[in-house]
Amino acid sequence: MAETKMVSLTIEGRAVSVPEGTTILEAAKQVGVLIPHYCYHPGLPVAGVCRMCLVEVEKAPKLAPSCATTVADGQVVHVHSDKSLDARKGVLEMLLINHPLDCPICDQSGECELQDYTFQEGRNDSRYREPKRFNPSEDFGGDIVYVPNRCILCTRCVRFMDDVAHDTVLNVSERGDRAVIGKFEGKDLTNVWAGNVVDLCPVGALLSKDFLNKARAWELDRAASICPNCTQGCNVMIETRENQVVRMRPRPNEEVNAFFMCDYGRLNYRWMNERQRAETPLVKMNGKLVAADWDVAVPAAAKLLTGNRAHIVASPMLSNESLYLLTQLIDTSKGAGVFRVAEGEEVPLPGVEDLALRRDRAANVYGAEMLGFKKTNDVFAGAGKGDVLVVVGEDFDGLDASSISNAGDVILIGPAMPNWIAEKAAVVLPTTNFAEEEGTVTNLRGRVQRFSQAKAAPGLSRPTWLVLGDLLGAIGKQSQFFLPSDVFGKLASSREEFAGLSYDKLGFKGLPVLNAKAGAA
Amino acid sequence: MAIKVKIVERPVDEVSYIRSTMKGMALTFKHIFKEKVTTQYPEEKAPISPRWRGTHRMLTTETGKAKCVACGLCPTVCPANCIKLVPGEDEQGNRYPLVFEIDEFRCIFCGYCQEVCPEEAIHVGRHYENSEYSRAGFVYDLERLTSQTHPVCEMWDPEDPKGE
Repeated sequence: MAETKMVSLTIEGRAVSVPEGTTILEAAKQVGVLIPHYCYHPGLPVAGVCRMCLVEVEKAPKLAPSCATTVADGQVVHVHSDKSLDARKGVLEMLLINHPLDCPICDQSGECELQDYTFQEGRNDSRYREPKRFNPSEDFGGDIVYVPNRCILCTRCVRFMDDVAHDTVLNVSERGDRAVIGKFEGKDLTNVWAGNVVDLCPVGALLSKDFLNKARAWELDRAASICPNCTQGCNVMIETRENQVVRMRPRPNEEVNAFFMCDYGRLNYRWMNERQRAETPLVKMNGKLVAADWDVAVPAAAKLLTGNRAHIVASPMLSNESLYLLTQLIDTSKGAGVFRVAEGEEVPLPGVEDLALRRDRAANVYGAEMLGFKKTNDVFAGAGKGDVLVVVGEDFDGLDASSISNAGDVILIGPAMPNWIAEKAAVVLPTTNFAEEEGTVTNLRGRVQRFSQAKAAPGLSRPTWLVLGDLLGAIGKQSQFFLPSDVFGKLASSREEFAGLSYDKLGFKGLPVLNAKAGAA
Repeated sequence: MAIKVKIVERPVDEVSYIRSTMKGMALTFKHIFKEKVTTQYPEEKAPISPRWRGTHRMLTTETGKAKCVACGLCPTVCPANCIKLVPGEDEQGNRYPLVFEIDEFRCIFCGYCQEVCPEEAIHVGRHYENSEYSRAGFVYDLERLTSQTHPVCEMWDPEDPKGE
């Protein structure tokens, strides 16, 4: 490929050099100037319909839409000149003619681009005295509700469904000031990827029914994380209010999920708020489980493990750190490690390369396999007579008492504790779930990505890596770990695939492991 | 040893208390005939400023429902963090407060909640008699806030809203 030609121009007095073909808007982002825009979105084709990104280009006869104008050598662009500010003020005034003043009850309030830009550049008051246009809100099917009054017709949603999801459902119906977003007869926004139109909508016209009226944008606490619901490993923000996860939204990462995530992952967050779970360490005494201190429970578990073969049932939701510590436990006890994973239909997003809702519905299937855990349907089958069964992080969906009949002592490590397993367990060590701890997971392309803690864990539960580290310490295998990054450091130094990686290097965009399978498999 | 005390001779017209007493009593009796200034509380109450900021009231619509739409601005602006709000949806799909509680002990009566309210729902009241039998009684719930009837604070003069 030929060397990309670089073009030099000046934006707001700042010199910048960008590859040929870049738009002024993207070039401006590079020098830290945000040109207000509505219809433009980096993940969608350019439409140029909102006229919000008008900027003044010297020697050009009229203002240029910066999202659709490519850069040229020697161009001098003024984003905040009187002329361009005046034009954008006019655009905003027009947009607000029919926009209702219902910010107090609008879910987008606080993260609304119309609010932001009006506050930055708009008029203080309206000159429009006539009654506003009114259309009743409409259920678009799926998780989405449409409020036409708030719509500014940027057509991001229409372009997403047409050009990215390749499922033509939405259109612009009617003309002139009667125009609204309509959906085709007999079609609904039931596409698995349709939820992205809510994130794309710059105003509160397309809203998630699931999140409707639950919280205000400014009350939410956000944590950068990874969607744990399939092996794609989409980068997400877990948003919580009062220690409850209320929604997940995609976090841009060109290498994994671009700007999108599927509805399956988006709406499957309720298990993170589960209240029925193990909260205190328990130890069996005279045939009954009694609450114990961590200092008692961990040595009790270690005592069971010494000299016995361990059959380890891991969860593919566990982080690389926890799984690595489990491999050490397997090595010491000459045991085996297995996991099972829920499966579903694979649904690709046609407009983005190598992005799909994957068949395996768990975060770290690839990481577990890489660390030597075997995928199986009957996880308890391999446990021989007298083996210590160690169940870590398993959710027990679809399992019951009959499945573990032939095992010896049971050590339960995890957040979930159904009654039937509690009856059999000799020691219960409560751990945090995916949203409550920190760590890394490996996606199906071998990309190691970090996730951070989004909420506090209930009771005395501790992070899985910490519990496993203490357990190994009690067996006498190694010293204690204090941070997940320490565990990852140990993993990186002892496993060839992870060589050279560290939390600092991974950042929040992740890095592939050595010899990762690239591209579509 | 006996202490010698020096006794100073003073003129009678300077040390006599009779004159001072007469003077004081004259002032006292003069007040009997003056206008009375004591307010006979609680039978009689002193007037309070139209901008007085006391315990809250939630105003209601004609149908008796609270005007609040649970926008969340008052808990956000409240510097004392005394407002608890949980938003919800009613049968018509309108946003309304499921829980709206003000802890009047925590409240510092700054009046920001009234100032920020876009629906003119929450108001600080022109009211000061707030005694209760328990501390819990000072957490006003939505029912209490809507049923109270005392006058509310006027943040500005309605005749002259801009203060010109």
